[in-house]
Amino acid sequence: MASTEDTNTTSGTSRQLVSLVNQAKDGNRSAFAQLVDRFHTDVFRMVYYRIRARSDAEDITQDVFLKAYQKISSIKDAARFRGWLFSITLNRIRDFQRKKRFRSLFKVDDENLESHPSVETGSDHPEALDHVLKEDFWRQVGLILNKLSKMEREVFLLRFFDHLNLNEIAGTLKKNESTVKTHLYRALAKFKKEPGIRQLLKEVIQ
Amino acid sequence: MNLDSEHHLDEQELIQAVVDESDLPQTMQAHLVTCHQCRASKESFEQDLASLGQMAERYAPKPQKRIALPVHEPKSAFWTFLNWRTAIGAAATVAAVLIVFWGTTIVRNLTEYGTDSVPAELMQAKQLMTEVNMLVDNALPPLYLKISAENNPDYDQEFYQFLIPQIESENLTSYRWKRGTSSC
Repeated sequence: MASTEDTNTTSGTSRQLVSLVNQAKDGNRSAFAQLVDRFHTDVFRMVYYRIRARSDAEDITQDVFLKAYQKISSIKDAARFRGWLFSITLNRIRDFQRKKRFRSLFKVDDENLESHPSVETGSDHPEALDHVLKEDFWRQVGLILNKLSKMEREVFLLRFFDHLNLNEIAGTLKKNESTVKTHLYRALAKFKKEPGIRQLLKEVIQ
Repeated sequence: MNLDSEHHLDEQELIQAVVDESDLPQTMQAHLVTCHQCRASKESFEQDLASLGQMAERYAPKPQKRIALPVHEPKSAFWTFLNWRTAIGAAATVAAVLIVFWGTTIVRNLTEYGTDSVPAELMQAKQLMTEVNMLVDNALPPLYLKISAENNPDYDQEFYQFLIPQIESENLTSYRWKRGTSSC
């Protein structure tokens, strides 16, 4: 019974989403603003997981929605809006990383920033313990992600951080679903061999 | 009893089950349903991964800036279609068409020029050969011919005979006989 209700709610939500996307396609600014409200946090987090710098993540998120606003009329299947938006996000992140790598050729400071991803401190993180935990967590995540290949890392992040299913990942990365599974399998095999992050998870859960 | 159904999932099969349970062989899927140990291992691994995602959400900051949308309306489908990639593609196509067109025209002109010019070239060659033959007969230009009296009509055969009389072999023989000499 509960499952049926869940299914109805999900289909209702997706129908509402499709309706909003179609309205936005027709130039309805208010409909697009609602889409922004719905996906703002998801897109921001997605960027932050990969960049790990708040101000850059804010700028990229702004860029993503601007691009989506300009290109919304080109979307073919309104039901795939989420995957389409995430594709734009990944492209923007890649652009940012490419520019950052290029800049790091000329600036020593950028190179340091690359090797030690910044976790902002200050008024946002007043509790010291929480801050230490955060820092440790992102450091462990960084260590584990560095051991994965580019594709493995992307598939792993999309699956367990961004909570996309295999089909959505395949759509976002424009890859075959079996290719996605292969990369995910390899990523999980490497993850399982890493005791650090699992230990940290256990400590935090306890 | 099926031996496969008693066999516990190894690490690779466990990972495969987490990726997509339906990719496991039927016997393994059946085993996973009945074996609490294997199911617990799988769920524990899945729980770890879910916790990782939850912690990432918890430790990621919240977005603070609001998204600012441009004032103007989104572009229509036509303008979206006519982006820079399409424009470059169209320009490349036009350039290719022009190159093909011009290339064909140049080749055609060359071919036509080739067929038309053959008689003219033959005529020129013939004229040249005539001039060469004339030079072989007499290499001097007309002015020098006049000076050398080659072309003077007053100087006829008789005049030349007068200037350079022909030696008659008969007279010469009788003269030698009269003197009593022989040529050999």
